[in-house]
Amino acid sequence: MKRILPLALCLIIGILMVCQFFIPHPVSTQFNSIINKWVVVLSAFALVLGIGNLTNHHAMTIKRRKPDWQYSLVTLLSMFLMAIIGLFFGIDEKSLYQKIYLNILTPLGATMFALLAYYMTSAAYRAFRARSLEAGLLLGAAFVVMIGFMPIGQFIHPQFPNFAEWLMRIPNMASQRGILLGVAFGSVATALKIILGIERSWLGGRE
Amino acid sequence: MSTDLWTWIGAFLTLMIFSFLYKDNPFYKFAEHLFVGVANGYYIVFYWHQALKPNLYEPLKSGNFLYLIPLLLGLLYFTRFIPKISWLVRLPLGFMIGWGAGISIPANLQAFIFRQIEGTVVTPGSFSDGYEGLWSLIILIGVICTVIYFFFSTEHRGIFKFGSRLGIIFIMLGFGASFGYTVMARVSLLIGRIQFLFGPWLGLIK
Amino acid sequence: MKFFQSLTRIDRRLIYLILTVLVILPFFLKFHLPQNIMPQTKRLYDFIDGLVPQENKAALVSIDYTPQTMPECHPMAISILTHCFKKRIPIIGISFDPQAPGLAIEAFNTVVIRLNACATTKNDSIIYGRDYIYLGWKSGRIAALMEMGEKISNVFPRDYYNNNTDSLPLMQRIKNYRDISIAIILAAADYPQEWLMYAQARYGLKLGTGLTAVMAPKYYPFLQTGQLSGMMSGMKGAAEYENLLLKSGHTTETGKAETGMNSQTLVHLLIIMLIIIGNIGYFFLQQKKEH
Repeated sequence: MKRILPLALCLIIGILMVCQFFIPHPVSTQFNSIINKWVVVLSAFALVLGIGNLTNHHAMTIKRRKPDWQYSLVTLLSMFLMAIIGLFFGIDEKSLYQKIYLNILTPLGATMFALLAYYMTSAAYRAFRARSLEAGLLLGAAFVVMIGFMPIGQFIHPQFPNFAEWLMRIPNMASQRGILLGVAFGSVATALKIILGIERSWLGGRE
Repeated sequence: MSTDLWTWIGAFLTLMIFSFLYKDNPFYKFAEHLFVGVANGYYIVFYWHQALKPNLYEPLKSGNFLYLIPLLLGLLYFTRFIPKISWLVRLPLGFMIGWGAGISIPANLQAFIFRQIEGTVVTPGSFSDGYEGLWSLIILIGVICTVIYFFFSTEHRGIFKFGSRLGIIFIMLGFGASFGYTVMARVSLLIGRIQFLFGPWLGLIK
Repeated sequence: MKFFQSLTRIDRRLIYLILTVLVILPFFLKFHLPQNIMPQTKRLYDFIDGLVPQENKAALVSIDYTPQTMPECHPMAISILTHCFKKRIPIIGISFDPQAPGLAIEAFNTVVIRLNACATTKNDSIIYGRDYIYLGWKSGRIAALMEMGEKISNVFPRDYYNNNTDSLPLMQRIKNYRDISIAIILAAADYPQEWLMYAQARYGLKLGTGLTAVMAPKYYPFLQTGQLSGMMSGMKGAAEYENLLLKSGHTTETGKAETGMNSQTLVHLLIIMLIIIGNIGYFFLQQKKEH
């Protein structure tokens, strides 16, 4: 019962969603519409769970005075303050909520990602070694693309940008398509296994 | 130089994060934890106003009791914290996983498998336009060899081994090209931050 | 021997400093390097340029980038919106990323204010509700993509400003994907794949995309099959589109993407040089070890 009911639900919903793709009848589209709205609601509940876990983790850190517990206080305070501001004072264009989003969240997020440029440069210098033919090919392709797509590529040779474009359009595209096909076949196989109850790891637990 | 307080706040937070490049320090830790907190607060408000309120609260308020089903299923998520009935969390999971698996099968087949194989197949028409026929052959060989490389159910011997070797060459060329693009992507993000610091904050560039 | 060792041991903080200087330098030493235009950017440009304003047709622009990827995607949004408005193609804006709406509003406001400053009559102006609408964000992306094929206002019953979607003049003419000439997805995540799977495969919707450079190589297979009608890749793609708009007279100056390309060039050369230096040091040390 504890395993059969969820497996049955998965099977029924899975088969119905496959079938509705091929049935243009209004009943099928209405069913699709209703299920899609329910999925939206369920996705939001999953977020609530995530927020609960985060709050619990940081609250425990503060309670047990673990190292850097003061920063957990910063996290919780800023989270609740932002939530209160947004829930009770509105989220329109000129609200404090939008100002915080544009002037605190945006710079913080953007700068976190900007650090990657430094790390990537340092890592490329330290780790990128042409130890084998394959590594040499990878390096060579990287150099061609990096120079070819920049304005300076044209000064090296007028056809250099076209060669870089060819590299993207033919060998790169072939390998990306091969990987894409592999992933797509794997996804279909896994989806079928899940619907048919062959793959049951999502159930978790013993009972 | 900007006289807007919010721009100064943004600039100082930017410099706090950049300070990590020298070494880890309290300013960076503060900014990092502030980011996590504000981001989560943002999501809480956003999901209430844009997801739960229009898709659950308002339909239920207007008497559409069919929405009790997703409400009940959503509440079952929280049973994972009650050991005696924690198995009930499998119901909303089963619903979501069944839904996701069901819609992905025809979509994957149509958009990724059939269309991509269609684009790989070489026909007499491929040779009508200059070198395009040759490139189409190279693509066909590259796709087949890449798939061979990732096929581990059989030992790579003989023709399989040759195909696999050719496949790794295509893969290395592809990954090298991807690395070139990745460099451009990462540097773009840094350029954006520098443009903000020297532009709206310091006013040194337009 | 020490020299080759030192080649492999340059302090990372020195590298960071040089990188920062090379990014900042082109902002003060203004020099213009000519851009070559990639075919996929030209394809997208030509597709939009070839659109003819029709009563019951609009373009759908899905603005799905985040503050983290603004330098690459925001110039794309500005260029696409400018191009469509200049061609008098109505735009329906939507977002599926929770962090995108603020940026979408900024993009729309920037373009509309700039174009309306040059408008002389009401017909020339860009008016909300008639020439463009922004429907805001929707969760449940896949569900929304499938539902929009039936009726867009079912997915977005209210727009971002809480107006009844069906009451807006533009939405009285546009019902679903059949009324959309092209959907352009400006994304920092794998959203275009879902558009390909659920909107294009099922409803035959024409798609174009503007992606971060990290994601662009993955989408070349879809360009080749024609599933994508065009693609802008990263800051370079945005700079190319700005150049195309400038050449055709739709704009009088390029934007932020173009100015960033000079810094890109210098940084790319630095990285290549560092990799070569590192490899020279490595190979000579290996040779010494073997002897």
